[in-house]
Amino acid sequence: MITTALIRKYVRIWRQLSRLAIGSYLSNRIDSAAYLAGKLVRFGFFLLLIVSLFSFTDTLAGYTKYEVILFFLTFNLIDVLSQALFRGIYAFRFDIQRGNFDFVLSKPMSPLFYSLSRMTDILDIIFLVPIIGLIVTVMGRLPVPPGPVQVLHYALLVLAGMTVVLGIHIITAGITIWKLESENAIWLYREAMTLGRFPPEIYSPAVRAVFTFVLPVILAVAFPAKAALRLLDWKGTLFVLCYAAAFFGCSLLLWRASLKAYSSASS
Amino acid sequence: MRVAGAKKYWVVFKISWQKELEYRFNFLLARLRSVLVMLLLTFVWLALTKKSGRFAGYSQAELVTYVFGINVLRSVIFGAQSRQVAADINEGMLSAYLTKPVNYLFQTFSAEFAQRTLYAVTALGEVLLFFFLLKVELLVQRDPTVLTLFALSVALAAMLYFFLSYAVSLLAFWSREALGPKFLFDWVLEFASGAYFPLDILAPALFAVFALLPFALVMYLPMEIYLGRADLNAALRGIALQAVWIALFGPAVLWIWRRGLRKYTGEGM
Repeated sequence: MITTALIRKYVRIWRQLSRLAIGSYLSNRIDSAAYLAGKLVRFGFFLLLIVSLFSFTDTLAGYTKYEVILFFLTFNLIDVLSQALFRGIYAFRFDIQRGNFDFVLSKPMSPLFYSLSRMTDILDIIFLVPIIGLIVTVMGRLPVPPGPVQVLHYALLVLAGMTVVLGIHIITAGITIWKLESENAIWLYREAMTLGRFPPEIYSPAVRAVFTFVLPVILAVAFPAKAALRLLDWKGTLFVLCYAAAFFGCSLLLWRASLKAYSSASS
Repeated sequence: MRVAGAKKYWVVFKISWQKELEYRFNFLLARLRSVLVMLLLTFVWLALTKKSGRFAGYSQAELVTYVFGINVLRSVIFGAQSRQVAADINEGMLSAYLTKPVNYLFQTFSAEFAQRTLYAVTALGEVLLFFFLLKVELLVQRDPTVLTLFALSVALAAMLYFFLSYAVSLLAFWSREALGPKFLFDWVLEFASGAYFPLDILAPALFAVFALLPFALVMYLPMEIYLGRADLNAALRGIALQAVWIALFGPAVLWIWRRGLRKYTGEGM
């Protein structure tokens, strides 16, 4: 049962893990600066691509320039937020391969929580500032700017999107326990997420169905933008919320099954 | 290089090939990643050319061929081994190679060549599969002169990328923090080389800046030659530029390597 004391305990753990991670980033200043610059370059170039496309056309799949930019920024918001909070999963493979996960299991805390959040990415938290600033700016320039209701709707669906993305991270961790050599599983998810850089209407119905229901990245990153654009009714919203909850529940079941299959590389 | 010497690197090639295939599930996931990039870009161009069949001076067939071609060229030209160079230097693993009767640069190139060959074969299969699945029109180049120039530009682009990437990785001799700069370099190269979109869709001033950099010769030039958009003069000028950059970077890499070795401390061993 989740109690206030339990939440406090995990907040304290997260804070301590984050402090350690920040210390690590600060002790590697050149690397950290170059990684942050690399992320900004990637972000800037894609934004440049979208702006360049709109010098030849007025719409893409029926969306105007600022609407397409909103899809792109929402993808970045969820992608960067998940990297900031769940970066630990990228190192999970080494724990499994080297048997270090045994030590994680012996700690008096959830091994899943520790594995996900042990490396809070301060660079991504810094990167969130310009992204959120741009989202606010772009929302103000939409043909029909969103009102308070649409902004709340957007925030709710970003939360649902984060739940889906958390579920995907948990699934990749589970797969890593089953298949040791699945280094590319988390990177496959990262690549799949990029499909959310553009409005889903550009994809064929089959591709859209796969990435909405099977690997629900479109559901996670495109639906919040649709909410801000007043293109999602309450039925659609209810569906997203239920699907996100069900997907997250399934990922937890898979994680539990994976834990039972864990055989410790070191023993 | 004598035959006996070359044999060593053939063995490195074979071992690297087997290593790639050892973890087949991971290999499959790596290829799926590549397919997703191809899918995303294909659908973007299809959406943009839906109305008129053309966009930014390119026909739909040219744009789709550009994306499919890049999927194959990425496998042929971009390698991951040079990233390993930085890790080997920082972790002291380079010491093990220095005691062996091999040239580290040739050894790295042979290992990378195996990976590139395997990925290129798979990428060709993916292109064929998606050609049938998406039922798109592709531009098949038949002109032998163009094909010869294209093959030459791809070979030179692979060498140029290798030297550029290797040079950045050698920063590890001077700093333990070489992977961050390599990450930054990789992203600048990905975009500035035209690995995501044809560079001439950018504003003319911006395109002029990119065209001055060696990165544009890595992906954009070979694809423009293949599509027949670069005439004979432009193609030859581009290939000559590739050769000039290689002539500059090749000796520079050897010089950096020699200077770096003097700084190498074998830390971590």
